[in-house]
Amino acid sequence: MTVQKRFLRVTNILFVVLMLVQLLPDKVSSETHTTYLIGFAIVLEVLALAASILSKNENGLNLSLDIIGFLYALIIVWTLVTAKFNVLNEALFPPLGKVFWQLIQDIGKIYVNIKSSLEIIAQGYLLAVVIAIPLGLFLGWSVRLGNAATYISKFLGSIPPIVYIPYGIALLPTFRSVSVFVIFLATFWPVLASTMSGVLNVDKKTIDSAKVLNVSKPTMLFSVILPAALSQIFIGCNQGLSVSFILLTSAEMIGAQYGMGYYIKQYSDFGDYTRTIVGLLVIGAVIMLISFLFNKLQGYLLRWKQ
Amino acid sequence: MSKIDIKNLTVEYSDKNHSFKALDNVSFSVELGEFVSIIGSSGCGKSTLLSILEGINSPTDGKILIDGNPISGTGFDRGVVFQHYSLFPWMTARNNVAFGIKQAKKELKKDERLKIADKFLDKVGLEEFKGKYPKQLSGGMQQRVAIARALAMDTDILLMDEPFGAIDAKNRTILQELLLSLWEESKKTVVFVTHDIDEAIFLSDKIIMMSTRPGRVYKEIRVPFKRPRNRSEMIGLKEYSDFRNKLISLFYGDIVDKIGGSKVVL
Repeated sequence: MTVQKRFLRVTNILFVVLMLVQLLPDKVSSETHTTYLIGFAIVLEVLALAASILSKNENGLNLSLDIIGFLYALIIVWTLVTAKFNVLNEALFPPLGKVFWQLIQDIGKIYVNIKSSLEIIAQGYLLAVVIAIPLGLFLGWSVRLGNAATYISKFLGSIPPIVYIPYGIALLPTFRSVSVFVIFLATFWPVLASTMSGVLNVDKKTIDSAKVLNVSKPTMLFSVILPAALSQIFIGCNQGLSVSFILLTSAEMIGAQYGMGYYIKQYSDFGDYTRTIVGLLVIGAVIMLISFLFNKLQGYLLRWKQ
Repeated sequence: MSKIDIKNLTVEYSDKNHSFKALDNVSFSVELGEFVSIIGSSGCGKSTLLSILEGINSPTDGKILIDGNPISGTGFDRGVVFQHYSLFPWMTARNNVAFGIKQAKKELKKDERLKIADKFLDKVGLEEFKGKYPKQLSGGMQQRVAIARALAMDTDILLMDEPFGAIDAKNRTILQELLLSLWEESKKTVVFVTHDIDEAIFLSDKIIMMSTRPGRVYKEIRVPFKRPRNRSEMIGLKEYSDFRNKLISLFYGDIVDKIGGSKVVL
């Protein structure tokens, strides 16, 4: 790639525009914390330049620069309609600098809340996966039980897990245990169903070639059927994961004292919409990071498919 | 006592209205260390026959004896190579072979298994490809891995169901020669299903020719050529072309009989 192709980019021009926009006088009464916004933009630009220098393939570079360019454009528009021209309601649409400032002020609090949310998800989700996959393998493999189980799991799986919450509260002692229980249910049924259908869809020839090797039943289930059905199982795991986040954050807004849903609900009740937006952004970032890691894991375990 | 005795094997599939005989009273035997090919056009039940030998299917009637004992299901005395999907796509070539060894010889430790796997992959000429997944290998290479696995499991009997049926002509001859040299070295009893007359002649001691609908043994023919065989020498012999012509006329003669004798011009 030529130097021009690397560095002469719309993204870099947008960065300059963004910086120039900050020179306009503020029109809002409260502190806008513009330095935090500038700091954030500089971090983005450093990333953009690093990508421009290090990137070897043009498509990859285009993608990262385009993403950063979109962010710049969004920041420019946001800054203009809030801090600089005060078009929108100041309380509902805080300037971005203030959002970043608030994020850094609250970082300890946010950490505690994320940790609480993730612990609950991890417990409910992992417990469900660890039970549903072996059970699904077993039920899918024994045709008669599997047929019956399909109907039952269709019925139980069609109940939206959120409606278990009131009953869960009656059954279980703490909010935390109710949340784990609900996330367990939300993950268990899709993983069980996808595992069972994965087993049923394993090519007969694959099973035959395992049979002629005289594999034992556990080896058949865990060394042959499990990997053969894995890509289908991941569909259920993915579904369970996204439903788990929806459920947990909703539940946290109802009755928790911790968690990201609680953080958002609490501050929006007080009319602190800066923190509400902080909460939204943080949840988005956390879920994106987790699905990124999840996709990496999936890609690694299914690397033989490429 | 023969190594394999196939006695009056009949396989009948039926639904409400129809019943269909895939195999009808098939009997023959295979001696210890013998290379036997089963040849026939598609639908003659040769693959059904092999699947019963493998232990995947069971016959409606009749039985198979190995060393005088009737078989039921799969067994550690038989290694199998299919035309497709013998290998597990999520395992590397090496792990596919080692997995087979693990099932056959549970007492071996992991590094011993890998060592044997490497040895057999070397034998089939895949030194460089041990760490590759089946998807990264050509069809011919995949069959080499499958052969390496079957040999590494060290079973007495090798069952091969059209193993080179999906391989291009050039690679097929290479694989046939490889198989023959490995067989001469290991002296296993082989039952080899094919629809390729030249392949059957080049490889076998004995050819079982089957006829279609229902599948029956049509002719049992001993291949008269000395071993070790050299393809180019063999093809040059007059005996070879005579023998080949005889087989072809038997092969197509059967079809002519089935569809209306001399009135049909093929």
